[in-house]
Amino acid sequence: MTEEQKAEEKKGSILVVGGGISGLTATLEAAEVGYEVFLVEKNPYLGGRVAQLKHYFPKLCPPACGLEINFRRIKDNPGITYYTLAEVESVSGAPGNYDVTIKLNPRYVNEKCTCCGECTKACTTEIPNEFNFGMDTTKGAHLPYEMALPMRYVISPKILGTDDAKRCVESCQYDAIDMNMQAQTINVKVGAIIWATGWKPYDATKIDNLGVQYRNVITNMMMERLAAVNGPTQGKVLRPSDGKEISRIAFVQCAGSRDENHLPYCSYICCMASLKQATYVREQFPDAKIYIFYIDVRAPGHRYEKFYKKIKEDENIFLIKGKVAEVQEDPDTKDITVVAENAVTGEKIREKVDMAVLATGMVPNTADTKLPGELKCDPDGFVVSSLAGGGMFATGCAAKPLDVTSSNQHATGMALKAIQTLVSS
Amino acid sequence: MANSYWVEPDVKFVRQLKTMGGDTLKKCYQCATCSVVCPISPEERPFPRKEMIAAQWGLKDKLVGNMDVWLCHQCNDCSTYCPRGAKPGDILNAVRGMTITEYAWPGWLGKIVPDARFWWLLLAIPIAIFLVLLGATGYLKIPEGEIEFAKFFPTLLVDLVFVPLATLWIPLTFGIGISRFMKAIHNNAVAEGKAKRNDLNIPDFLKSLVCTIPTILSHSKFSQCTANKDRYLAHLLVLFSFAGLFVVTNIFFVALYILQLPGPYSQANPVKIFANLNAIALLVGVILMISNRLKDRGPNVGKGSYFDWSLILLVLGLVATGGLSELTRLAHLPSIAYPMYFAHLVFVFCLFAYLPFSKLAHLVYRTLAMAYSRYALREPCE
Repeated sequence: MTEEQKAEEKKGSILVVGGGISGLTATLEAAEVGYEVFLVEKNPYLGGRVAQLKHYFPKLCPPACGLEINFRRIKDNPGITYYTLAEVESVSGAPGNYDVTIKLNPRYVNEKCTCCGECTKACTTEIPNEFNFGMDTTKGAHLPYEMALPMRYVISPKILGTDDAKRCVESCQYDAIDMNMQAQTINVKVGAIIWATGWKPYDATKIDNLGVQYRNVITNMMMERLAAVNGPTQGKVLRPSDGKEISRIAFVQCAGSRDENHLPYCSYICCMASLKQATYVREQFPDAKIYIFYIDVRAPGHRYEKFYKKIKEDENIFLIKGKVAEVQEDPDTKDITVVAENAVTGEKIREKVDMAVLATGMVPNTADTKLPGELKCDPDGFVVSSLAGGGMFATGCAAKPLDVTSSNQHATGMALKAIQTLVSS
Repeated sequence: MANSYWVEPDVKFVRQLKTMGGDTLKKCYQCATCSVVCPISPEERPFPRKEMIAAQWGLKDKLVGNMDVWLCHQCNDCSTYCPRGAKPGDILNAVRGMTITEYAWPGWLGKIVPDARFWWLLLAIPIAIFLVLLGATGYLKIPEGEIEFAKFFPTLLVDLVFVPLATLWIPLTFGIGISRFMKAIHNNAVAEGKAKRNDLNIPDFLKSLVCTIPTILSHSKFSQCTANKDRYLAHLLVLFSFAGLFVVTNIFFVALYILQLPGPYSQANPVKIFANLNAIALLVGVILMISNRLKDRGPNVGKGSYFDWSLILLVLGLVATGGLSELTRLAHLPSIAYPMYFAHLVFVFCLFAYLPFSKLAHLVYRTLAMAYSRYALREPCE
């Protein structure tokens, strides 16, 4: 008779702050080996930046599929408690024993919501759609995005106390809307904390020579939304000023990156993102001319190099070594002219295009928001993990600029570091 | 670019460039932002990106004979936008200094004028000449009575020094430097395809030179700068007051030797009034230059090297001693006025004698390069 091998009982809990791809991975990796995990996300949905992308590179598959699997795993795991619209207010204690206060902001929609959408129809207030970087608006009552987790509508505090709020409440036949919902505070005790607080695109308005004031100059993340089927143009890449189709487009690499006046570091993903976005344009406009202006194309590793080589084979994709440093707009046609020096031929180039995409870099959210607790940040605002002391770890783009694959690898590693803290304390 | 190029790095040149204010050159990573943000760089083969890589690689022949470094007016728009703090504006300024040294004749003077270790020697030369001259003729004392500088330093002795300086020394030394320079920029422009004509035709070149003069007088290139546009006014004041004082000097030369009218002249004399106005403009201009250079323009804009400051301080010394000589003369302070005049002559000597070797040589080199750029049909005359 074989003796039953019982796994050692898992003691202690882990807090993961941030429900993007890194936070989701860290949560699942720790929870699926038996630890209790609290996941805290400040947005009303999980998924983070990845949820805004049209495709991953280099496989060019939609992130929805990977997110769906992760959401399924989260829902199936009783060890995971996740909170959305939630923020960590304070952290005290030491590795192995932290007291954490979490503020839960009101969603004004409870678990009875069936996503029927009647409240959206009833609501008249339009608010800028942050999910689409303000390129369109959304109603005061809306679903964050098609496959949001939790699958539940959210009501903007902006309509609080208005007639719209009343209309929303009246429209809901499931009693799911509660405009009296208040913010709550909860306390959890955890042994380790993983900060997966993510990133935001660099504020392009700080770059005064790349024409960010012109409508047809957009950022790479805006391009993702333009190309995504659930974006403001239902996935059709049309230029913002007049909805014209794209016949010529320029990608401006290192827009504010590797630049002491802006972000001194390389954000790692922007070259691959632009190469990927070239495929969005190519797919929709087979004859469009695509100009990519770069300092160096950084396609690290075998798979990315292969992707880069494949893109280079396209006869209508022109990769030009030379950073765009001046952008003009034709006031009548709203066409954009990008100016660069081709550093190989030594000629100044003025390329007139329908639209220009600025490949802006990543800024850690911790660059301008101080996190609670004794956390160290490097001069650029990235969180430094206390690998020696244990207890507090940063992962994903809170730690350094990373792509999705590396974020997942990093998050898995940090989940293990968190577990080690629990085991040793 | 199809032609292959045998790279022969001149490490010594790179080191020299660094001491001339080009210490940031290795930071450049060739993004070419500078060539685009430069408001005065030409469309074809723009600068300064290509100069930056040539500087990093120690490709001296691509730099000292390069007219483009002289088309640069150091607006510093390039340095302001440079993502790496490589300061292309400072590098090109350093290259210009190296060019002056490179083509200088005699070479040893070309080397010691920009060398901060020898400032005392440069001052000692005129002091020694003047002391010997005055001592030998028995003038080395403070004269009695009404102050007249000619009683202390006879005009004939002054001219014995300055006339040969202006008519022999400068034409000879600078002439050699200039002809070397012209050959070099022509060869470089032809070799790099910047020139649309391969010959060097003197009458045509002179025509281009004439059409360049208005650009220089109006400072129209300088005024296109954005980051450093305040430097435009300072430079304009200094250039025009120098030109004015040059005119005044010639008028008084004619007055003295042809019309036989020795000084000092009345303060109401229109030429004297003009001279004083120019002196004031020069003082204001040079003070503006100093304050502009000391102004904090952020980490990407350098404050200049010894080569820049030695000329600015020389001009300041020149105008200060000149003005004080006049004021103390009018105030009847012989014990200050005469030594002040002596110091003034020392500075005038330095300005003239070291003209071909100091930053002041840019007056000619930049003019010639701008004219050549037009001659080569890169920026043709309108």
